[in-house]
Amino acid sequence: MIKNILINFKKYQFLLLQLVSRDFKVKYKRSFLGIIWSLLYPILTMTVMALVFTNMFKMSMPGINYLVYLMSGLVIFNYFSEASNLAMSSVVSNFSLINKVYIPKYIFPLSKCLFVGINFLLTLIPLYGLIIITGTGVNVYHLLLPFVIVCLFLFTVGVGFILSTISVFLRDVFYIYGVVTTLLQYMTPIIYDFSIIPEHLQIIFKCNPLYWFIYFARDIILYSKAPSINIWFYCFVFALGTLLIGILVFKKNQDKFIYYV
Amino acid sequence: MKQENVMIKINDVSMRFNLGIEKGFSLKQGFVDFFDFKRRKEKKSRKNEFWALSNVSFKVKKGEVIGFIGSNGAGKSTLLKIVAGVMKPTQGKIDVYGNICPMIELGAGFDMDLTARENIYLNGAVMGYSKDFIDSKFEEIVDFSELREFLDVPVKNFSSGMVARLAFSVATVVDPEILIVDEILSVGDIAFQGKSEQKMLSMINGGTTVLFVSHSIEQIKKLCDKVVWLDHGVVQKIGGKEVCDEYLRSVGAV
Repeated sequence: MIKNILINFKKYQFLLLQLVSRDFKVKYKRSFLGIIWSLLYPILTMTVMALVFTNMFKMSMPGINYLVYLMSGLVIFNYFSEASNLAMSSVVSNFSLINKVYIPKYIFPLSKCLFVGINFLLTLIPLYGLIIITGTGVNVYHLLLPFVIVCLFLFTVGVGFILSTISVFLRDVFYIYGVVTTLLQYMTPIIYDFSIIPEHLQIIFKCNPLYWFIYFARDIILYSKAPSINIWFYCFVFALGTLLIGILVFKKNQDKFIYYV
Repeated sequence: MKQENVMIKINDVSMRFNLGIEKGFSLKQGFVDFFDFKRRKEKKSRKNEFWALSNVSFKVKKGEVIGFIGSNGAGKSTLLKIVAGVMKPTQGKIDVYGNICPMIELGAGFDMDLTARENIYLNGAVMGYSKDFIDSKFEEIVDFSELREFLDVPVKNFSSGMVARLAFSVATVVDPEILIVDEILSVGDIAFQGKSEQKMLSMINGGTTVLFVSHSIEQIKKLCDKVVWLDHGVVQKIGGKEVCDEYLRSVGAV
């Protein structure tokens, strides 16, 4: 069975590539700067954030650069939020295709997660620019970051599978998820320091996988240390667990999609 | 009959659609249903279901050209979709030996914002072709479609005939073992119609197995060795071209 899946995946690898490149072409169609926007946009957002939080709200953190703290969290959260949102609507918006030709349906949410993933990798360039400019510095532990990026990707794909399945049967999820994303944004320590959360509530915040991914990244970027073993463990378990649930949910329901076109 | 000659084996296939599904489960409907006991009962007895196909069985041998006839809603397209793997049958089993080229709706994979060139690759990928394959056939596709000068124009600026020509050219560039055709021979202008029919005929003569749906009895008679007459999801008759005449008599067209 696994052999069949791999053969099938190989056959449709080119389609996956085409879907991702289609997204890029459509995204930057008729824009003068084109792909440069993928770099420029995060730089401009960072500038705005920097102005708002360091000048207006006078946010700062002892011993570390607040801007790097903010951006490292934001980049991770934005990837998750954008990719999961696009993945959610990917199956529904490709109904016209699903209804006419046989295509493995998982390819749609997966292509969205990859598309946003490439954008995410591009936003790492201005992030590293910031890390260097602010004097935070790069250390050897940065080599561990791919682990958390892979975890973030797998987790997002899993969520994308679950959401795209639900959205086929219940379009309400588009609205609900918008609210959930906003809630999640405030429940993830992006702009604030986690220690301001009352101790008895911290356990709830720790159920959020994004908390662990950001924790992992910040340990390396801001504190120049290797994340402890339990952070590795949580990242890994949340990512793999969500992915497995996503695959199961998607696989179990995908043959029914066609009736809800 | 030798086993290896059978390309498609359709065994007792039935397909059920749930007509109530369109309503989905909205909160309002759920609320109304909860208090409407009669409707609840009805739901349980599944009166909303509709059998698009019931107990369809037949075999298709290599090289055969099979035409499907029947009124609208007889289940022809559903059957083709099941063979193409788009849908799974509610009951029964279907075995397909060989690669399929489904031409159920041309241009299904087109993105209107992309150019013709980009769409050839995208649509080719949708049909499951590899990049090398499309690279090697690119010129052939462009020549056949006669759209060379519009290669870098977004498809949204094409006329519907041009879109259909491009789609037909991409779809027929393979030499599939099984070709599924659902009412597409009438694409483009008269010149292109003749050309596409020629292409179909050459594929048929090349030994491709073809499943063919058309409302043009003339076309069916011209192309097919075997005719399957479907009526309300049931196979009325399988046979040679004489089935066409029987069908025409039954609908009172002769």
